[in-house]
Amino acid sequence: MLDDVTLQVPAGTVGLLGPNGAGKSTLIKCLLNLEKPSSGSARVLGTDIRSANRASREKVGYSPEKDSHLSDMLGCEYVTYCGQLSGMPFAAARQRTHEILDLVGMGSERYRKVETYSTGMRQRIKLAQALVHDPELIILDEPTNGLDPSGREHILELIGSLRRELGVSVVISSHLLRDIERVCDRVIIVSRGRVVEHASLAALKSRHENFVELTPSAQRQRFAPVLSAAGWNVTPLSNGKLRVKCHSTEGLLQLLAQHDLPPAEIVANPDALHEMFIQAVSAAHEQPA
Amino acid sequence: MNNPLDLSRWRERPLGLVYRIRIMIVAGLRRESQTRLFRWLLVLGWVGGFCLALAGYLFNRTLSEGGFAEQLSELFGIKGKAVFRIFEGFLALYPDVCIGGFFNLLFSNYSKAALLLSLLAITAMVPRLIAPDRASNGLTVYLSRPLTSTDYLLGKLGILTAVLGLLWTGPMIAGWLVSLALTPSLEAAAYSFAALKAALLFNGIALVSLSAIALGVSALSTKGRNTQIAWLALWLLPGILTVTAPHSVWLQRASFKRNLDQTRLGLFQSESVYTAVADKLALLNQDAKSALRTLGKDARAQDFRAALLSLTALSAASFLVLLRKLRTE
Repeated sequence: MLDDVTLQVPAGTVGLLGPNGAGKSTLIKCLLNLEKPSSGSARVLGTDIRSANRASREKVGYSPEKDSHLSDMLGCEYVTYCGQLSGMPFAAARQRTHEILDLVGMGSERYRKVETYSTGMRQRIKLAQALVHDPELIILDEPTNGLDPSGREHILELIGSLRRELGVSVVISSHLLRDIERVCDRVIIVSRGRVVEHASLAALKSRHENFVELTPSAQRQRFAPVLSAAGWNVTPLSNGKLRVKCHSTEGLLQLLAQHDLPPAEIVANPDALHEMFIQAVSAAHEQPA
Repeated sequence: MNNPLDLSRWRERPLGLVYRIRIMIVAGLRRESQTRLFRWLLVLGWVGGFCLALAGYLFNRTLSEGGFAEQLSELFGIKGKAVFRIFEGFLALYPDVCIGGFFNLLFSNYSKAALLLSLLAITAMVPRLIAPDRASNGLTVYLSRPLTSTDYLLGKLGILTAVLGLLWTGPMIAGWLVSLALTPSLEAAAYSFAALKAALLFNGIALVSLSAIALGVSALSTKGRNTQIAWLALWLLPGILTVTAPHSVWLQRASFKRNLDQTRLGLFQSESVYTAVADKLALLNQDAKSALRTLGKDARAQDFRAALLSLTALSAASFLVLLRKLRTE
């Protein structure tokens, strides 16, 4: 159930976050006219989804969360058919199909029937059918589910480059905050059918209390006393890292250099999105429905 | 245009709705044509069309001047010639009964056979219409594109129309045209046209109602086998149950096959052919006339309007099933 949702999302890569049943998929389905809202209006790429039902999806690609395909079709046939259903002539659809299938990392599997694919292959073909008609916006619902680490890396890299290199806007619904943080420049957090947060990732992080995760390279036992003596708030973590509350990474680096303590790795606000997400969702749960 | 992703761009205006629906129909037909049963049914359908053309040709050639009948009558001497002259006179007096009647019976029986062929084809097709799209969330694939659920249904309806057109309408029209082309006769064309019109009307009614019912049945379950069983039950069960309760009106109304048979009889009105021959052909004795009248009685529709209403109700019920089931998961 969605209630009182008012949003204007600029072009870019947008992450749609929320716990299970929060309304992420419903929001996506409403935008695609797959579900009819009881009231309200929406425009996708400037086109009203009610008055121009078909036209509002002409330049939109959608990769659903659930396994979706047409049976009895080879992978390349299926993607070409999807292109044609979006209004592409056969020759153009076939050409784009093979390019996209190369891009998502499908080799000779494209000549097999879709129902014989593994989960990872099905994710790739879902992405391919969403991209075949060269959309201006693609909506991806859990696009990395079921992918192995290298496959996930490949698909995330591809999603990132869609915006950078082709100017395609992307909306990703995912429960994997790391994925969202990696490829998105905006975040929408949905909880109990309402939008509880909508801001750029940079703005969200700047609102968050700053801290870093520091991985000592050597002389591990010296790091915490030195930092504490200098007035930094240090918390040792169970994985050997140190969580340091700081406003300036440069100041921290200077201090460590003075004491000849080179860090192996410093990650700023590693779980900022996670914490913001928990905060936003908790706040929404405290409010009356 | 090339770009770092090594991907061509497609920035043309998308082709329209008619193209997209055509793509669905072509894909559906291609899938059907891959099954052996469909190919066999297609052969049977066109053999039927050939038979229709042959029957029309033989009939026209028999009655034409210097045709088979005249040649045959000469073999039987003066009596044969006399009988032939009587028939010739009858033909000149009542061309509507002779030519129209022959084509009426020809098209009526052709339609009966073609209906059976179509029912077999639909039995094979039902599991592949909507059920697999529901099972594999294929509906989402269609409806997330510039297509509405109505467009989707039109595409599926188009597949059924194309199949029935290939098995039934096509051979029928082709057979009629070929029979006329082989023995050009304005009279034959004119007096057979009413029968063709009735055949086309019946074909249209059968096509719409069978398609609606088949689509509704195919949307009932996500398992193809279940939809096939449901279709066979809907086709055969009322007929079987009628044996135990022959006077049950509800069972008669529930049987779309019986309703279609009644519609066919009502549209062709073949009883008028039998009674016209019995009344007008002076050569026949009372036994022959009585036999013709009995045939006419059998060919009379018992409840034409009720059959049409029942077909409409069954189609509407299927439409309601479609409305309920055609939703993305």
